[in-house]
Amino acid sequence: MLCHAATTITGVLRSFFVAEQTAARDGFLQSRQPLATLLGTAALLVGVVVSRDPLVVAALAPVPLALALASSVSLRQVAARTVPVAFASLVVVAPQAFLFPGRSLVEVAGFAVTADGLSYVVTFTLRVWTGVSLLAVLVLTTPFADVVAALRRLRVPVALVWVLVLTYRYLFLFFSELRRLLRAREGRTVGARGLRQRWRELGQLSGTFLIRTLERGERVHRGMRARGGARPPSPYDRTGETGPTDVLFVASAVAVAISAGVIRWLL
Amino acid sequence: MAPVIAARDVSYAYPDGTLGLDGVDVTLDPGERVAVLGPNGSGKSTLQLVLGGLEPPDSGHVEYFGGERDPERVRDRLAVLLQDPDDYLFNSTVREDLEYGPAQLDVPRETAQQRIDRLADALHLDGLLDRPPFRLSAGEKERAALAAALATGPDVLLLDEPTSNLDGPGRERVLGVLDDVAAQGTTLVTFTPGTDLVPRVADRVLLLGAGGSVVARGSVREILTDAELLAEQGLRPPATVRLFDDLVADPPLTVSDGRTLLGDTDLTR
Repeated sequence: MLCHAATTITGVLRSFFVAEQTAARDGFLQSRQPLATLLGTAALLVGVVVSRDPLVVAALAPVPLALALASSVSLRQVAARTVPVAFASLVVVAPQAFLFPGRSLVEVAGFAVTADGLSYVVTFTLRVWTGVSLLAVLVLTTPFADVVAALRRLRVPVALVWVLVLTYRYLFLFFSELRRLLRAREGRTVGARGLRQRWRELGQLSGTFLIRTLERGERVHRGMRARGGARPPSPYDRTGETGPTDVLFVASAVAVAISAGVIRWLL
Repeated sequence: MAPVIAARDVSYAYPDGTLGLDGVDVTLDPGERVAVLGPNGSGKSTLQLVLGGLEPPDSGHVEYFGGERDPERVRDRLAVLLQDPDDYLFNSTVREDLEYGPAQLDVPRETAQQRIDRLADALHLDGLLDRPPFRLSAGEKERAALAAALATGPDVLLLDEPTSNLDGPGRERVLGVLDDVAAQGTTLVTFTPGTDLVPRVADRVLLLGAGGSVVARGSVREILTDAELLAEQGLRPPATVRLFDDLVADPPLTVSDGRTLLGDTDLTR
């Protein structure tokens, strides 16, 4: 079961972050400068993050879907990458529907679901889904090296870019190593084991996993250093000429972010 | 001309205290083809990392291109191809991996693109450039990793078992590319336990013993035809040498040399 779970998680991670086919398609975001895509997406994310009004959040929710459709990315691809995250956040925040004070809507097992609580849960989940969807559309349409190049061009601190690059790379390694370890273990395990033995094995496995992940991380780090990885990340900048559509996209996204801020703090 | 790499009295111990390298001296001249041969556990991969500036020696020192001791300053001239391609290919697509080294080392983009196109063609990677490395077969990964190492345009290439995952045609393709690279003056150093590979990739051999020390140096013929010396290190001469050893005074080292020899011999009954 553990092996299956690790395989599933690795597959989900890879399918989330690797989009070699959609990034090569001819679409709206693929045609944008990576810098414009990054800035526009970041501005929209800011808009989503600062929004608290359910109507504003509901108005922002279709934006990633529209961007996906305009970029030849199927909604199913977006949904596959985002619904599990939204569902997980829903599970985490669901108790708030009962804990928030306010007008009672309905009683479930003796606990009252309040209107404000329900509104909070729906808004929160929708915000998470919209934010993750924007990231998913960015990842599906823009190669990671282009994102890094755009970050460097924006003069984002090198340390921050390092963290992003390393997190991105080690995320795959982490789960790939776990899958290898579990597969090797299950390939040599026969017969039923008691709960106590399972727990003991799990403890041993965790220790081995930690050591192997560290060792693998060191080896990959050597692989990076062997090709100049000791220097700050500096992928080729693919930024071409800025077109009017790039400017319009970024300006619209910034306007959305500013509007969201105005609605939250000034109105 | 100054050696491209000169290691003096290099020793290295693993974290558990086991000696990995014991007083190794290595001098590599420009354009040389050298094989570092040794059984499993003799410290070949460790020596590769130390010579490649990816692990500092515990004692002794390594100099590059006539006196430079900081490997990071010569990283654009020194390529290290690690044994496991999975440790080497860490980008989203093969193309990004091939671009990674040149971009990090400030190679102009047009130059890098020309190199990548040439390497992709020579190593049959054309259809794989936009695929993620983890979806490649073991042989494809090996070829992609070699292309990634060569894309930096190095003067010295240190290769750890470069053909271990390759089938026959893939092996010949890689060896052909290495021949071309050597013909252009690049120093090639191949670390391998396989005596059959050595005559194809080297003119000179450094034989490592089980204790991580150099037990013999010499020409490929001198080392590979000395069955006793090889046996002491748990190695055997190449198959062609074993086949012809009792038949001719100078046994051929490669299959093609063996075929040439047989072509000159009347085998008709």
